[in-house]
This record gives sequence, C-alpha cells and structure tokens, in this order.
Amino acid sequence: MQESGYFSQYSPIDGVWDEMYGVGNIRDHYSKVIDYLSRESAEDLARKEELAKRLFMSQGITFTVYSSGEGIEKIFPFDIIPRIITADEWAFVEKGIKQRLNALNLFLKDVYNNQFIVKDGIVPIDIIYSCPHFLREMYQLQVPYDIYVHIAGIDLIRDHDGTFYVLEDNLRTPSGVSYMLENREITKRLFPDLLPQCAVRSVTEYPNILYKNLLSLSPRQISNPTIVLLSPGIYNSAYFEHTTLARLMGVELVEGRDLVVKNQKVYMKTTIGLQQVDVIYRRVDDEYLDPLVFNPASILGVAGIMGAYRTGNVAIVNAIGNGVADDKAVYAYVPDMIKYYLNEEPILKNVPTYQLNNRDEREHVFANINKMVVKKTNGSGGYGMLMGHASTDEEIDDYKKEILKDPRNFIAQPTISLSAAPCYMQGGLHPRRIDLRPYALCGPDGIEIVPGGLTRVALKEGSLVVNSSQGGGSKDTWVLA
Amino acid sequence: MLSRVAASLYWLSRYVERSDGILRMLKINYASSQDTVQEFTWAPVIRIFSGHNEETQKLGNDSRAVMRYMVSGKNNPNSILNIITFARENARGVQEHITKDLWQCLNEYYHTVKDSRIDNALKKDDPVSVLDILIKQVMLYYGTVEITMERGEGRSYMNIGKYLERGIQSVDILDTKFGSIDDNPDLLTDTTYWKHLLLSLGGYELYLKTYREGFEAENVLEQVVLNNDFPRSVIYSVNHIQRYFERLKNDSNIDDYRELSFYIGRLQSNIKYSSVKSIKDEGLHQFLTQIRSQLYGIGDALNNHYFANS
Repeated sequence: MQESGYFSQYSPIDGVWDEMYGVGNIRDHYSKVIDYLSRESAEDLARKEELAKRLFMSQGITFTVYSSGEGIEKIFPFDIIPRIITADEWAFVEKGIKQRLNALNLFLKDVYNNQFIVKDGIVPIDIIYSCPHFLREMYQLQVPYDIYVHIAGIDLIRDHDGTFYVLEDNLRTPSGVSYMLENREITKRLFPDLLPQCAVRSVTEYPNILYKNLLSLSPRQISNPTIVLLSPGIYNSAYFEHTTLARLMGVELVEGRDLVVKNQKVYMKTTIGLQQVDVIYRRVDDEYLDPLVFNPASILGVAGIMGAYRTGNVAIVNAIGNGVADDKAVYAYVPDMIKYYLNEEPILKNVPTYQLNNRDEREHVFANINKMVVKKTNGSGGYGMLMGHASTDEEIDDYKKEILKDPRNFIAQPTISLSAAPCYMQGGLHPRRIDLRPYALCGPDGIEIVPGGLTRVALKEGSLVVNSSQGGGSKDTWVLA
Repeated sequence: MLSRVAASLYWLSRYVERSDGILRMLKINYASSQDTVQEFTWAPVIRIFSGHNEETQKLGNDSRAVMRYMVSGKNNPNSILNIITFARENARGVQEHITKDLWQCLNEYYHTVKDSRIDNALKKDDPVSVLDILIKQVMLYYGTVEITMERGEGRSYMNIGKYLERGIQSVDILDTKFGSIDDNPDLLTDTTYWKHLLLSLGGYELYLKTYREGFEAENVLEQVVLNNDFPRSVIYSVNHIQRYFERLKNDSNIDDYRELSFYIGRLQSNIKYSSVKSIKDEGLHQFLTQIRSQLYGIGDALNNHYFANS
C-alpha cells in the first residue's frame, strides 16, 4: 500500500498530545482510518469536504448571519477527519463524568436547601451569594427526584501527556448535541463502510434516552403527558438544534408566545383550545424565563411559569438556578464537593484555578500572567477571555484594570496545552487543537452518557480557542467498542 | 396542534402555491411576448401579482426586467425570492410538523432561487429554462407533500391555504383578463388571448377536449369558474377548502367550526348555483369581486378563530 503524500507531511506539534500520532508512529486506534484514507487521493478528500458542505447546506443545518438587512446562510465549519477515542479512554471519562455529575446534583440540592457544604466550611458563602446565577427563587423548591441537572455538557481537554482535565461544566442549557448526531450522519455519507469496520459505537440513542427521562418527570400521572421543547425562536443560533431534538423525540416545539399560565398551570395554545403542558425542556436562559420574576423585559418567556414550577404543576429541564454550580469560581470547589458528598477521590482532574478576589492568588496570577488564561466567571462562548501568552502588554494592562474593578468576576488558570488531532485543510492533514464535550443525561434511573460527544476544533493555526463564536469548528467523535 | 404551527403551515402552503401561479404566468406570458410583439403588455401580470407602484412603472414592457423583478426582485414583496424566503421561514418554525424530506425540499427551492445564477440567467440566457428549473422545484414540493406528509390536521391547514390561494389567484386572473376587454374589445375574438389565459392556468388541453367550437370567452369563463374537474377552477378550489375544513371538526371548538363552515358553505353555494348566464346578468366583475371578498373573509375568519389565539 502506498502512502499518500498528505500523510507523510503530517507533523505533530512539539510538546502537545497528538490524538493520532504517538512516539514516531500512528496510534493503533487510528490505523484503520489512516489505511482507509491513504487509499484516497487528496482530490478525493477535497471532494468529500465539498460533499459535507453541500449536505449541511441542503439539510438546512445552518445559522443565519444578518448583515446589511440580508440574511446569509452559514454552516458551522466541519472537519471531515473523525476524532477517535479508545474504549479504555471512554470508560475512564464516562466514570469520571458520572461521579462529577452526581456530586454537582447533590451540591445544587444542598445549596438550595440546607447548605451543609457552606456550614461545614467547604465552600465559602460569599462565592455562592455573589454568583449572579444563584437564584433565591429556587430556595427550598422541590424538584422531581432531586435532579437539577438533567442534561450536562462537560468540556474536557487533554494536557501534553494525554491526561484528561475538566475545563468547565455546562449545567444550564448546554448546546451542540445535534451536531454530535448530524456529524455522525454526514460521516456515514462521506466514508461508506468505515464506521462498522472500525467498530464505532452508535450515538443515535440520545433522543430516546432524553425522551424517556422527560416522560418520567411528568407531575400528572397520566399515560400521555404533554412534553414540549421551549425555544427562543427561529432567530436563535441554536434553533436548528431545537427543531432536530423536537423532531427526534416527537415532542412539540413551542415558543414563549405559545404558552400561557392559568391557575398555576402551564397550557399551550392550540387550534382546539388550551392543552396542559407537563414537562418543559427549555432552551431559554433562566433570566428570560419568566418576566414576572426575572428580566421583566423578556418576551421569550412565559409570565407566571415560575409559579407553576414552584407549585409542582410543571417540570422544567434543566432546573432553574443551575448556574451557581457551573460558575467558574465555584468550579474550583468541585473536587472538594466530590470528596464531601461522595467520599471519593475525583476521577477527572480540575484545571488549577486561581480566585482573583483572593489577594495572594491575584498577585501570583499578575506576576505570571504570560502563562495564564483569565476568564469571566459567568462568561461563555469564549468571549471576554484573556490569553496571557498571546496578548500585548497594553491588552494585559487594560484587562488587569477590569479585574481590579470586580475581582470576584474573574478566575485564572494556567494555560493548558490542548491536545491536537489531524484536520483536513489546504489539501493536507494538519494538527489542530481540540476539546471534547460528552453529553450526560440524568434521569431517575441514573446517569447515561451516549458514547460520543462533540469535538470542537480551533481551526486557526496555533489557536487554543475552540468556541464556534471564535472561529472554531467541529468533528465527528468516535468511541470504539 | 399549536395555533402558531397551524398558521405557519397555512402560510407556507399559500406562499408556495403563489409562487407556482407566478412562475406559470411568467412562462406563458414570456412565450406570448415572443409571439405578439405588437400588442403584448406585461401590465396585467404586474397588476395581478404586484400592483402599481413607482418601481413597476419603471419596468415598462421590458420582459427581462419584469421577470427579474417578479423572480429575484429584492424590493418586490411578492417576488419568488421573497415569498419562498417567507415560506422557508414558516417551515423553519414548524420543522417538526413537516417531514424532513419536505423541509429539505423547501430548503433547496430557497437556495435555488437565491443563487445569483438565476438572476444572471434571467438577464442574459433563456428565461424559460430558468422558470422551468423553479417550476420543477414546486412540482417536487407537491410530490413530496403528497408522498411524505401524514394525513392529519397539519396537512388540512396546508391544503386550505393552498386552495384558498389558488382560488384567489384564479379570480384575480379572470378579473384582470376579462377587465382588459373593456379597454380593448378586439381581444374578445382574439384566439391567442384566450389560449394564453388557458395555458397560464394549465387548462388549455382540457378546454380543447371539452369545447369543440374554438375559443369563446363564455366557455373560458365556464371552465375557469364552474368546471368541477378543472383543478384551477374557482369551484374546484372552494370544494377542496370545504373538504379539508370538514376534517378539522372537533367538539372542543364547535362554535368556531360552525362559523367558518357557514362562510365556506355560503361561498360554495354562490358558485355552485351560478351559471354563465346568471354571472353575465349580474356582471362578471361584480360576481368576481363578491367571490374574492368571500375568499378573503374565510382567510380572516381562520385567522380569528383558529390562528389568532397566538
């Protein structure tokens, strides 16, 4: 077998864990794929990339950018080379996420009820009360089965030696799962027969598990409860995902204006009158959910829904107020939570995190800012970050001033060198940095994680930012059996 | 079904039907413009689908300019580009109520008409080829609806939208075409004039089979208003509105149902118990005006009783 030119040219980045390349040779779990790919010419791959783009476009897997009054359809960049995870790696990750999620659910229950963890001095009270996502409205509100986080997206990265770290927990309305599902469908089209040959585990169970969990939350004990997915509407950038999930689960996709609350019950407006809603999988953020309780200017939510929730007449997924558990300052305490609630050692490591409202830690960070990433505690999407190694002195000085205005709003982490995986670009394979977001579903029967997830890629050379809003793309993610 | 969803399905269907009407109209009129250079005018087409305004005045009788305005005109709210964008926006909001095939089909239609090659081809190449590409998209749409859509409430709203739109179009086309005779009585005996009218409604072949004595205005009128078997006749559309509306009957909103049912039944009777003679006695324009306002009335009532919840 002749090796095509584009493979011999692949050169891993020094000091970075390469998912495909071990010491001097291709790792076993990539060998079948590389065999397959090396039988294809560079032109074949270019054609496959074209096909992938066309499939995303024709299936309407797009988001719209509005400029000069005209909508332009864009697709999220997709890299055709899959990211592969071995069975052992997956077993470890799966175990670690389950442990972490168990602790986080217990933490949310605790923090909104007795606050033992605060009284026992594990988590400082000011960290919690100063978190904007800690909602007093949730105090002593009983949620079904004590589950707060029904759907979690845990972002994992790998350091230079391949060790997995949790970068952040997404416990509010994690998105991207439709790309896990669609990327797989596209890969089936791009590389016929390759998936079964490599014994890749299927991800298609995701909507069924989610549906089963939603069904079990219905407050009314009836045979056919009404489950809806609440979306902000077609202008939301994740709208495609909302329709995909609603379709795959066969539930109604609603917008705030389709719902109304009467006598502490939620109804949807149908052509034959009002129909009671039992379970709401909402993709609207807490603050927009109920204009009577949260942001009064919101038209995305439903007036009075919080009352219905509090009365127990409707289940809301994920629970409201989860933001206190995925706040970046609270993140630092997750390993302690695992020890405190479960009496176990954390399986997955945290990235070391410095609290900038602590004077000593702040000074340490300022002194070593070139090796640090500074983030806002309630930021997301890669906005408002400072990458110390890639910033000018002026940017750093400005950022420091910002920090000093309200240090609680910032944390710093040493720059972790994300692992790299081969990507097809400019007619060849090049290493690009990646992360991994598996999706965990928590129901009354326990936590289930479909084998796979979303691998995000920093498409720019040398970049460590994988967020789609910052020029990131995605890959199909394979877990081998 | 959510009221918002019902409204979206209804409008999505109306828009696609409208695009079909416009495209066929353009195709036949373009052919006609190549046939009868002397007297041909685009004015009636523009009047039916866009109305008079500064922009349409500027188009004059330039076939390519008119077609570009009607197909890819960004400032024309009724251009194919704009109505298919609306149709797709509606479809996007109800994706889990239409099949994936249908969504992809509409999506393709949208990307096809948005492609700058369409506009360029209208400028330089053979316009009929362009129109055919788009007409094929509509046919694909109807085939996909037929084969993949479940026979439920959603499809009833889609069909009501489709036939309401079609009925209104047929009435408008008749009213405009017969109206032109008042200004130019020669048209009454102009064979090509009637032939093109029938062609643009897809009723030419049926006409030839039904009437042996050549093209007569009265026969055309009979076919387009009263023929139960002609899929673009007014009575055919109204019968189908009635048929699909009946399927929406439900005990929980029986009062709304009765009111709508009354409007539809009244309209149906008005047409059913008319003849070419009675229409002529009443005055065609007056007759069509009444039918049109009753069709609009049904649309309004649907909006109030079935959609306005939202």
